[in-house]
Amino acid sequence: MYFRKKDCVAMILAGGQGSRLMVLTEDTAKPAVPFGGKYRLIDFPLSNCVNSGIDTVGILTQYQPLQLNEYIGNGMPWGLNSTNGGIHVLSPYSKSASSEWYKGTANAIFQNISFIDRYNPKNVLILSGDHIYKMDYSKMMREHNKRKADCTIAVLDVSLEEASRFGIMNTDDEGRIFEFEEKPKNPKSTKASMGIYIFRWEVLKEYLISDNEDPTSSNDFGKNIIPRLIDDGYNLFAYSFNGYWKDVGTIDSLWQSNMDILGENPELDMREKENRIYARNYANPSSFVSKSADVVNSYVAEGSLVYGKVHNSIISTGCVIERGAEIHDSFIMPNTVIEKSSVIKYAIIGEDTVVHANAKIGDNPEFYEKNKWGIAVVGKEREVPQNKIILPKETF
Amino acid sequence: MKAMGVVFSNIYDSSLGELTNHRTVASLPFGGRYRQIDFVLSNMSNSGIYNIGVITKYNYRSLMDHLGSCTEWDLNRKNEGLTILPPFVSGNTGIYKGKLEALYSAVAFIDNPNYDYVVVSDSTVLCNINLRDAIESHIKSGVDITIISNKEAADGKKHPLAISVNTKNRVTGLLIDSPAEKGSYVGMGMFIFKREMLVSAIKQCYAKGYVHLERDFIQRGFNEKKLRIGIYKFDGVVLRNEDIKSYYKNNMALLESKVRKGLFLQDNPIYTKVRDEIPTYYGEGSEVCDCLLADGCSVYGKIDNSILFRGVRVEKGAEVKGSIVMQGTKIGKDAKLECVILDKNVTVSEGAVLKGTPQHPVIVRKGETV
Repeated sequence: MYFRKKDCVAMILAGGQGSRLMVLTEDTAKPAVPFGGKYRLIDFPLSNCVNSGIDTVGILTQYQPLQLNEYIGNGMPWGLNSTNGGIHVLSPYSKSASSEWYKGTANAIFQNISFIDRYNPKNVLILSGDHIYKMDYSKMMREHNKRKADCTIAVLDVSLEEASRFGIMNTDDEGRIFEFEEKPKNPKSTKASMGIYIFRWEVLKEYLISDNEDPTSSNDFGKNIIPRLIDDGYNLFAYSFNGYWKDVGTIDSLWQSNMDILGENPELDMREKENRIYARNYANPSSFVSKSADVVNSYVAEGSLVYGKVHNSIISTGCVIERGAEIHDSFIMPNTVIEKSSVIKYAIIGEDTVVHANAKIGDNPEFYEKNKWGIAVVGKEREVPQNKIILPKETF
Repeated sequence: MKAMGVVFSNIYDSSLGELTNHRTVASLPFGGRYRQIDFVLSNMSNSGIYNIGVITKYNYRSLMDHLGSCTEWDLNRKNEGLTILPPFVSGNTGIYKGKLEALYSAVAFIDNPNYDYVVVSDSTVLCNINLRDAIESHIKSGVDITIISNKEAADGKKHPLAISVNTKNRVTGLLIDSPAEKGSYVGMGMFIFKREMLVSAIKQCYAKGYVHLERDFIQRGFNEKKLRIGIYKFDGVVLRNEDIKSYYKNNMALLESKVRKGLFLQDNPIYTKVRDEIPTYYGEGSEVCDCLLADGCSVYGKIDNSILFRGVRVEKGAEVKGSIVMQGTKIGKDAKLECVILDKNVTVSEGAVLKGTPQHPVIVRKGETV
C-alpha cells in the first residue's frame, strides 16, 4: 500500500500507569484522567499537534486502555479523522518470534518502527500523554530544521531547587546539549527536559534498533537514547519554552494545575482562542445555576446543576451540587453527585461518584501540620456514605 | 418496516419576525445551545430514522453552517444520512407557497423504494419523542395518516390543527387555525404517511394546484371521507415556538426543572453542533439566580432568570433579568437589561438600559450595538 510521505509523525506515549495518581488511575490510563471541567489529559498533546499542523499521530497505549481508546475513537473531536494520516492507537501486539509489552519509552517506539516507516517521515515528534501545556510544535520544528539538528529537546527554565527533580540539559551558549543529567543532586543548569523530543527519523531508528539489542539498557529515551546520541557526537539542541507546563504525575500537581486555570489572569489561560484545546463533547444541556447557589471564581461545565456553594473550584460536565453542599478549592470530575450539606475542601472527587449527604472531605491547610496535610482524593465510581469524614491526604 | 424523515425548515419564518430575518426557523437558536432543528433531528436519529431530507427555501446558509457534516446527530453515514433539499426550480415553480409544493419538489428524494413510511415534520414544535413507537402505532392502527398530537389547554389560543377524536383514536373533526376545544387534541406538525400513498397524493395535489398540506390534502381528504386519519397521543413536554411571545415563554420554561427533565432525556439526548468552548467561568462578584448557561460564558455581573448561550460575557455591575442572550454577545459594565432578546454577537455598551415585558420582549438584532 502507498502512503503519502509525511514531514513529521507524532508519537504520544500514553501507556504509563500513573501509579502516583493512586485511586484515580486504578482502572484507567493516566492520559484519560479528566482535567479542567471537560477535558482529559490526552486532549493537550492531541490539540497541540492539530494546532501545529501535524495530522498523523500514533498513540502508544498499554495500561488499562479501554476508556482511553473509547475516548479517542476515530479522532474526530480533534479533527484527526483524516484519510491520509489521522490518529492510530498502537497497542503492543504479538509477533511471530515473540510477543512482549512495551518495556520502556524507547522500546514502545521501537516496536512501532514499521508504523512510522509507512509514512517515511523526515522527523518524529515524541510526546507524553500526561502533560498540561499549550505549545506550537511547528516553531520548535523550524528551529530543529534550521539548525540541522539530529535531535531537539524542549526545555523549561526551572528554579535551581526544582532542578534536581528533572532531567537537566547542560548546554553551551548556542543551545547545543553536551551533557544530560537525570535528576542531578548538584544541577549545573536549570534547563529541565519537558519530555518533548524531535528526532531525525533516520538517526532515531538506527539507535532504537541498537538499543534494543543491548540487554543492559532500560530502553528509555532519557536514560539511554539521549546520552548515547550525545556520546556519539550527534547534534542535539535544547529548545526553550516559556509558557505554562506541568507534569500532572501526582495528586498535588493534578490539583494545582486545575487551580491554575482559575482567576482573572490565570497562569494557564484556557479561554484564549488561539491554540484552543479540543475535547470529545457529549450531548449535555446547558448548566443550571439556581438561586440557592453561590458560585465564585469557578468553572462550571455544561450538563451540571448547581444548588450549593462553589468557591475556587471546577465542576465538570454532568455534576449535581445539591442545596447546602459546599465546595471549596476542589476539582470535581464528570458526572458526580454531591448531596446536600456535604462539605468538600481541597479535594479531587473522581468520575461517576456519589458523595452522600453530610460527608466531609478534605480541609484547609492552615489547621494542620505541614506533613499531615494534603489533597483528599475520592476515586472513580465510588459511593461515599452519609456523614463520612475523609481527612486531608486520605484517599477513598 | 423502515422509515425516512422529511423536515421543513422555513414554514413559519414570518411569524418570528426579526429573529428570522437572517435565518430559517429551523436554525433559530433555542435553550442556550441548540437550534430548533436539533430537536426533530435528534428525535429521528434516536428513533433509528437515518435518511432525512431537510427542505429549505431561503436564508439557509446558517442552517447549512449549523448542520455541517451532521456527525453530531449521528447522521454522517455511509448509506443513509442527511440531505439538504434546496428549492428545485423547474419551469416557473420558484419558491414554495406551501408544504405540499415543497414536498412536490422533493418527490424524487421521498420516492425511495427502500422505505415504507415517511415522517414529515416541522421544526418549530420542540419535544423529545420516540418516533419508533409512533410509527408502530401507525402501522397497527391501519390508518392512512397519523397526526402526532398532544393535549393543550382550551384557552382560546388558535392552533394550526385542532383535532377531535373518538375512543379509537380516529379523527372525528379537523379544524385549521382554530382554538382547541376541551378534550380535543392539537397537531404537533408531525405526520406519518405510507410512502407510496404520500408520493401519489403529492403528485395528484400538485396537478390540481393545491399547495397547503393540512388544508388541501389532509382536511379535504378527511371531509370527502377519502382518508382515514388517526392520531398518536404524545404526553410529554411540548414547546411550540409559533411567535415571539411563545418563543420567549418557552425559553423561560426551561428554567423549570420539570420541563428540562421532559425535554433532555439521558437515553435520548438532544444533539447539537460542537463548538469546543471551555466551561463557563463565574468571576468574583458574579451573582447568578436561576439561570441556564452554556459553555464558554464569563460572568462577572448579576444574572437572574435568564438564558445565556455560548461565549456570552457579562461585565461587572451589569444586571440581566428575564432575558435571552445569544451566542457571543457582550454586555458592558453597569448595563441593565430586562425581558430582552439579544441576538448573536450583539454589543451592549456600558450603562445601557433596555426594558421590555414578557408579552413584548425587546429584540436586538444580530451584530448590532446598543
